[in-house]
Amino acid sequence: MTAVILDGIVLGLQFGLLGVGLTIVYGMGGILNLAYGQMAVVAAIVVSFALKWGLPVVPAVVLGIVTAAVIGLVLNLTILKPVYRRRGEGRVLLSLLVTIGVAFIIDGLLVWRFPLEALGLSIGGDPVLILGVPMRTGSLLASAITILAGGSLIYFFRATTAGKAIRSVIQDEVGAQLCGVNPAAVRTLIFTLSGALAGLVAVTQSMTSPVTISSGFDITILALLVTVVGGLGSIRGAFLAGLLLGLVNAASSFYIGSYITTIILLGAAALTILIRPSGLFGKHA
Amino acid sequence: MTTEDLDSASGTSSVLGGGGQGRQVSSLTAFAAIAVVGIVLALVPLWIGDSRTLMGVAVSGLLFACYAIAFNLIFGSTGQLFLAVGAIAGVGAYGSAIISDRLGLPFPISMLLATGLAMLIGGGFSWIAVRRSLGIIFTGIVTLTFSLGFDNLLLGQRSITGGETGYVVDAGSDTFLRQQIPPYYVFLGLVLFYLIGYFLLHRSHIGWAFRALRDDEVAAELAGVNVAKYRIYAGTIGGGMLGFAGALWAHVEGFISPATFTFVHVDVPVIVMVVFGGIGTLMGPIVGSAFFTYIGEVLASFSQLRLIAEGALLIVLFLTLPNGVVGALRSGVSRLRGRRATR
Repeated sequence: MTAVILDGIVLGLQFGLLGVGLTIVYGMGGILNLAYGQMAVVAAIVVSFALKWGLPVVPAVVLGIVTAAVIGLVLNLTILKPVYRRRGEGRVLLSLLVTIGVAFIIDGLLVWRFPLEALGLSIGGDPVLILGVPMRTGSLLASAITILAGGSLIYFFRATTAGKAIRSVIQDEVGAQLCGVNPAAVRTLIFTLSGALAGLVAVTQSMTSPVTISSGFDITILALLVTVVGGLGSIRGAFLAGLLLGLVNAASSFYIGSYITTIILLGAAALTILIRPSGLFGKHA
Repeated sequence: MTTEDLDSASGTSSVLGGGGQGRQVSSLTAFAAIAVVGIVLALVPLWIGDSRTLMGVAVSGLLFACYAIAFNLIFGSTGQLFLAVGAIAGVGAYGSAIISDRLGLPFPISMLLATGLAMLIGGGFSWIAVRRSLGIIFTGIVTLTFSLGFDNLLLGQRSITGGETGYVVDAGSDTFLRQQIPPYYVFLGLVLFYLIGYFLLHRSHIGWAFRALRDDEVAAELAGVNVAKYRIYAGTIGGGMLGFAGALWAHVEGFISPATFTFVHVDVPVIVMVVFGGIGTLMGPIVGSAFFTYIGEVLASFSQLRLIAEGALLIVLFLTLPNGVVGALRSGVSRLRGRRATR
């Protein structure tokens, strides 16, 4: 029982971080980035190559995260420019379609050049006993990184000027502009941050199970579910939704069986949306 | 109100800012266009009829045209983003195959039963979306979860569906549906039937309600249009169209597998086709499905680069033609007309 709950928490923290990267981009400007998972996969592949070239783990990981962040930055400054000219649901839809195109390109390039590449970071060391349950060091390290990243994100958004500027744009783009916040600069910052988060998630996930080049779409879908259940644009919500879905996943795969688990997970997500259409922490429309 | 007024009124609120979407097409133009499509597509087997592979591609192009018309009815006309196009078609396909093979019913009857089931699901989604007043994105996510769940169910219920190896459909194997050319004409007939149905529906009072609720939902509700009712109509009819097309495909192809109905393989291309052709236009889905079936075949020989080329094409197309080909043509024509009028 304790083991299941701990497993759920480890998984849930991953889910949460996954959702955060997508939710901040949606919240700040109605961009639904369907190439999110592909950005993560690119980061994983870069780390995997850097390790092969003999780089130590930490610089390799940093290189991967920076690559994903740069992809975010470039996307924001190039093909998303025309998308920002639209407002409301038109913007969401156009962003969704354009980023599907980006996802196709990245997937195509990966399948073409590195069809068999995958990243699996195995963290050595004996299992550590937590509450009487042996936990793998990989899971613990992944969770620690996730908690640290999540904590610093929340601090960044609550306590720093840049964070407050970002939240003001999320709340009211025009109002923020009137107060002297430059939405374009904020968007660039956020999109780069989202790319870095995608890269970080790829790294922490690879500590428990390998990230392959075909993982992109699955990562995006999972991030989307977490985002929606947590409430679009809410960081706290994303973490809470991640934990909820992680626990549901761990419990149902332990007590019921693996293939039904996905269906139960999807059902739980759909049910939350139906009970609270704005998500756990969503803005009430 | 002139057509020009209707355009500018719908311009701000329509889904992709559509120019020319609120326009009424005269019956003559519409039927002439449908007739031209019918004649042109009827001549295709003269050109590629010898090749079994190419005929297969053409039939699947027509299947996607059916999907696109249905999606256009649900999303283009009433703004409900159904991301379960493939799953609803899969309900039709697996439903009809299982009913006819396991229960021994004749396949025309099983097709109708499966279509009924697909209608219930489509209408059910609309009902849920209306009752919980889900917006475009939330309707999309709820239907997407169904889509993914359905795929998992097909993979998991191995004993009934054959799992990922697929399901060989017996019913229909001894009929003309399994020959090389006839299925093409059967599907062409279905496409034309759907087109005519789409047009007649939009010319009726239901079409007026669709346009009203798409342009401004609140205004439509205030003007006495029962928005909920018409959304459910669209979901039910569209669901039936998807289910029937899927069921027909099962008996024509003789083999179905979960991969045939996944979100990635059906919904993504269908959205791309409809948006490329022009959301909310009569001919948009046909233009889109014909174009992408052709491009897919041209790029098929560069299998490695196909995905990259398609992705690049999507980005360029959506950024340059946000109203789709049909929308761009229409605004081009009306600009020419306008210039002539002021001269």
